[in-house]
Amino acid sequence: MKLNDELEYLKLSKWQKFVYRLRSFFTSIPKGIGKGFLKIGQFFKKVGLAVANEVKDIWTTFVQGDWKTKISFLVMGFGNIARGQILRGLLFLLMEVVFIGYMVLMGGKYLAQLGTLGTVGPHQGYNEVLDSYYTVYGDNSFKILLYGVLTIFFIIAFIYTWRANVKQNKLAEQILKSGKKLKSGKEDLRSMVDDQFYKTLLALPTTGILLFTVMPIVFMILVAFTNYSSNNDGYYSNLFHWVGLKNFQTLFSWDVGGVNYSATFGEILLWTLIWAFFATFTNYFLGIGVAMMINKKGIHLKKVWRTILIMTIAIPQFISLLYVSKMFTLNGLFNGFLMDIGVLKQAVDFWGIPTLARVMVIIINIWIGIPYLMLIATGILMNIPADLYESAKIDGASGWKQFSKITLPYMLFITGPYLLTSFTGNMNNFNVIYLLTGGGPHVNLSNGAGNPGDTDLLITWLFNITQKGFGEDGAQYYLASVIGILVFIVVSVISLIVYSLLPSVKNEEDFQ
Amino acid sequence: MARVKLTNVKKVYDNNVVAVHDFNLDIKDKEFVVFVGPSGCGKSTTLRMVAGLEEISGGTVEIDGEVVNDLQPKDRNIAMVFQNYALYPHMTVYDNIAFSLRLKKVPEDVIYAKVTNAAEILGITQYLMRKPRALSGGQRQRVAIGRAMVRDSKVFLMDEPLSNLDAKLRNQMRAEIILLRQKLDTTFIYVTHDQTEAMTLGDRIVIMKDGYIMQVGTPMEVFEKPSNLFVAEFIGAPKMNVLKTNLVKEGTKYFVTPCGAKLEVTGEKAKLLADKGIESREILLGARPEHILLADGPAENAIPCKLEVKEMMGSEMHLHVVTEDGTRWIVRVPTIDLDQEQREHLEEPEAELFITFEGKAMHFFDPETEKNLIYGEE
Amino acid sequence: MKNKHSLAAIILLAIGAVITLGGAFLFVNRFAPMWSFSQKYLTDNFIFVLLGVLGILIGVLMLFIARSVYKSGKVVEESDSMKQHMGLKAMSRISNTVIYVILIIISIIWLVPFFCIVVQSFRIQPTGMTRYLFVNPEGNIAGKEGLQIKFGFDNYVKLFTETEFPRWYLNTFIIAVVVAVVQTIIVLCMSYTLSRFRFKMRKPMMQFMLILGMFPGMLAMIILYQVLKDLNLALDHAVPGLILVYCASSGMGYYVSKGFFDTIPKSLDEAARVDGATRAQVLFKIILPLAKPIVIYTVLTAFMAPWGDFIFAKYITNPDSSQAWNVAVGLQNWLSTSTLISEKYTMFCTGGVIVAIPVVILFMCLQRYYVEGVTGGAVKG
Repeated sequence: MKLNDELEYLKLSKWQKFVYRLRSFFTSIPKGIGKGFLKIGQFFKKVGLAVANEVKDIWTTFVQGDWKTKISFLVMGFGNIARGQILRGLLFLLMEVVFIGYMVLMGGKYLAQLGTLGTVGPHQGYNEVLDSYYTVYGDNSFKILLYGVLTIFFIIAFIYTWRANVKQNKLAEQILKSGKKLKSGKEDLRSMVDDQFYKTLLALPTTGILLFTVMPIVFMILVAFTNYSSNNDGYYSNLFHWVGLKNFQTLFSWDVGGVNYSATFGEILLWTLIWAFFATFTNYFLGIGVAMMINKKGIHLKKVWRTILIMTIAIPQFISLLYVSKMFTLNGLFNGFLMDIGVLKQAVDFWGIPTLARVMVIIINIWIGIPYLMLIATGILMNIPADLYESAKIDGASGWKQFSKITLPYMLFITGPYLLTSFTGNMNNFNVIYLLTGGGPHVNLSNGAGNPGDTDLLITWLFNITQKGFGEDGAQYYLASVIGILVFIVVSVISLIVYSLLPSVKNEEDFQ
Repeated sequence: MARVKLTNVKKVYDNNVVAVHDFNLDIKDKEFVVFVGPSGCGKSTTLRMVAGLEEISGGTVEIDGEVVNDLQPKDRNIAMVFQNYALYPHMTVYDNIAFSLRLKKVPEDVIYAKVTNAAEILGITQYLMRKPRALSGGQRQRVAIGRAMVRDSKVFLMDEPLSNLDAKLRNQMRAEIILLRQKLDTTFIYVTHDQTEAMTLGDRIVIMKDGYIMQVGTPMEVFEKPSNLFVAEFIGAPKMNVLKTNLVKEGTKYFVTPCGAKLEVTGEKAKLLADKGIESREILLGARPEHILLADGPAENAIPCKLEVKEMMGSEMHLHVVTEDGTRWIVRVPTIDLDQEQREHLEEPEAELFITFEGKAMHFFDPETEKNLIYGEE
Repeated sequence: MKNKHSLAAIILLAIGAVITLGGAFLFVNRFAPMWSFSQKYLTDNFIFVLLGVLGILIGVLMLFIARSVYKSGKVVEESDSMKQHMGLKAMSRISNTVIYVILIIISIIWLVPFFCIVVQSFRIQPTGMTRYLFVNPEGNIAGKEGLQIKFGFDNYVKLFTETEFPRWYLNTFIIAVVVAVVQTIIVLCMSYTLSRFRFKMRKPMMQFMLILGMFPGMLAMIILYQVLKDLNLALDHAVPGLILVYCASSGMGYYVSKGFFDTIPKSLDEAARVDGATRAQVLFKIILPLAKPIVIYTVLTAFMAPWGDFIFAKYITNPDSSQAWNVAVGLQNWLSTSTLISEKYTMFCTGGVIVAIPVVILFMCLQRYYVEGVTGGAVKG
């Protein structure tokens, strides 16, 4: 059934509407994927065209430029200095000198070894004077990989600066030709706090992100294609080297040294998704519920209730989580209390039974999470225009109808993106799981790398792999990297799907 | 006090939407120019390009002979009043007005003199120590104007300064702007979407649509000699009646034939038509509501019609009438011209009326190009 | 009509009275025994006392409602047209009672763990983990005096004199202060720029950071640890290393404050620029004074985070020497093995209380700003 007319949709019965929407949702998925590919294609086309244009522009600059410009192609900043922009020129020159120096002294060497990640491992050397053997350390795979990546970053940055240098020359020539004056060094400096102020502001944050977020991520993605582990650390024990897709094969195979990794991964992924779902939505709805109760007309002491809940946000999570975790152990306060009042004859091992442990984790997470949601929901509830409710009342809507037809849609609309981030955040919610259960109990999963447990999320498993040695490789960093990449893929796919469905992204103005 | 010259100014946004096409205008020293047009016509964008708040994609903007394309707003020596006033909420009124002077490191005693003087003129002296939050809309507006006043700038820019005020206050402030203009004696560029404001304030009006200039002229010119249909309909309220009909040339006389009637074109219009050598043809006939008259009874030059809606405005009455072939007209009749009999007649539902046109106040447009046959440029 | 209301009032009155009396009875009956150390299972007395108090509260509330229902019945008599309204009022009284009961229960659930941790932080003996809070059911049996429970301030004294805790506390404090300052500056730079400037790389940058955020941050730890170790900023010198890492990536957390900046009208910037301000002056003279709430929010969250950060600190500090630990690593260590638990459990509670107090006080003072930030952030996604 295809609807030509939007009005026709309105004539359908409830059930037909539902079917129609379901169908159009599923038919839109392949379309969306197709569009995605098209977009990627267009992106590459755009990039290709841009590069071609740049090259052409560089060429014409060289051909049409005067001698100052031509020399600047080799000696960066020469044109600027020759035309009187000393400050700019010197900066360019300095950058070139630093870059060449770096390449000669360090970068070149590491870059050359990037293909092999080092050839000479630690070996025994012989000291003739003492007549004894000692260990000689050879190449350092870790450093080769690290500095290799860094050098590639630098080369890209240098090409960019060089390009800027060429552009500057072309621009300067044009300006001089039109009889105008070039900016002086003083004006340059002044523009750093004015029209170029954003560059000044962004310099520090972006450097930080590049060095401490982007670089490690690139490095760790590459590690997934090596055999880097605590016993192949690249220097002290053994070199590590490229292994291609082997690590991915390991994770997706049924039997590696008696461990079924694909089953383990599947189990943990499933639990991660279940956990994220419950952790997000229980908090969400209960938080809204609590907020609505506190905000209800006629409830006194609103501040007191709110403060009691908010106070728990202030207490560092590691304290509350560790303490609560201990409260529920076999000889914890909770068991003691239940036995005292006679509800239990025997202590219950809350953290020892897989299903119970999972339920407990979700319940305690509610305890942790409701205050935040209460705050958020309170803010939004207060922002819902009162006239919406008034007109609903006049239309004859009951309390429940008001909630389901006004409050909830409004909340969902406003908090759609927040729900998504909180879902993906929960998938990577390390603290709650690690501090409450440490991943245990270890009942159902086979004891592989990282000793996975029943409440382990992918992220805690990943962490445990980097901590606990397993087999001859020790802590298998490469396996952790592979899992990290897979987590990224899962998170990004979910985000993509949700984003393409979210009403607040599609029609931003609906509720405004 | 300066001349502002825009030459081939163009604005293209990142998404390749062209907001302003090839804008040319020479604003004389001490002139009050109003940019007017419907929303999205590019009038604000043009003003903001003059201010330096919007990058200029092409062409040049000159202030006092100097090309200011690459200058920051602060270096252009302009003052601007914003639609939402843009008062700094954390500063008192005094600090708000003094802000620009402090940035220029003007001595405090000079600042004091200037600010109090401006406050005096605008009648906001007693509010100087208040925060903007504690002011009413009209007072905020004055502060915003005061802030621009103390700058002694070359050009005074105003971006829809009255549109956030209620109707009554707007009329009052409009009058005050006229007074202010006499006191300040500087070049003004004023943006509005309200044609009344444009007509009352401007020495010259620039009417824009979709990024193009439709017409530039004095209020009188744009009202009497609209160069195209858009200007004709935009200026004047209620809006001009337009009907597709025929222009007939009989000997030296011109007639129009709306709704089966035959009306003669008289006065200067007829002469101009003859001068242009226009033959019989299809036209869009325009007639302003105030130039449509009620006729006494059936006649060759009268169109019979029925009254549909009657709007009593007090001094005048707007009659919405519909002719037999379904054409709708708005007729504006001064209440004072109606005698008792006519008034009673108008009370009847669907009263029968006859309308006729003022022959000298008709406008003729080309149905294809929508240009004014007489005044439209080729 | 009058009868119906009166009847409802009487029923409510009766129920309220019964609950009140029951609660009072429970309270009187169980309060005294709670403090006598001779009975076998005593924790339950405490709970019954609580139940008693709750009962009294609910009962009294119901009495009040009974009164108002009765009154509304009277009003109905006087004006019949108001009857529906009054009926609604009585309804909402009843639903309010239910809500009060739920809220009281919620408050108890939320506060009990903190109440327990404070109580245990004062316990001198035994030092290990116990099933009981106030009274040891076995400790009072003759011949087992060693298990006798003792309370006092000793833990608080010992914590600062006999353990490494002051050192961890200082470490964390230094980290928190520096991070609060640097991170605030970085976040403000980033968010102001992304909110106010339009440059070519703006959209790609934001998209890139969005994608970057989807990588589990934990992955970066392995390499950061190695690099910091090379720079001698890990293990025993981890404090500057931790500061570096916390601050370096903080540009990614621009979202909430960008949302706030977006709400400050752009025309303010423009007005200031026309008035002769440079972009930098606009930031310092116009925007920052207006952005006080979000600055405080950023400082507050940046200051609070290091107190709770556990995993990264654990990863890069030396597991064998506690010199560079922060409070989280140190306190967690006390709960890491069963021997340590039996020695240090109450000490952990004491440490937890000491860590929480200043943070909670600070938080409570600046609560308004935090609430604003959190709500704003969520609304903008």
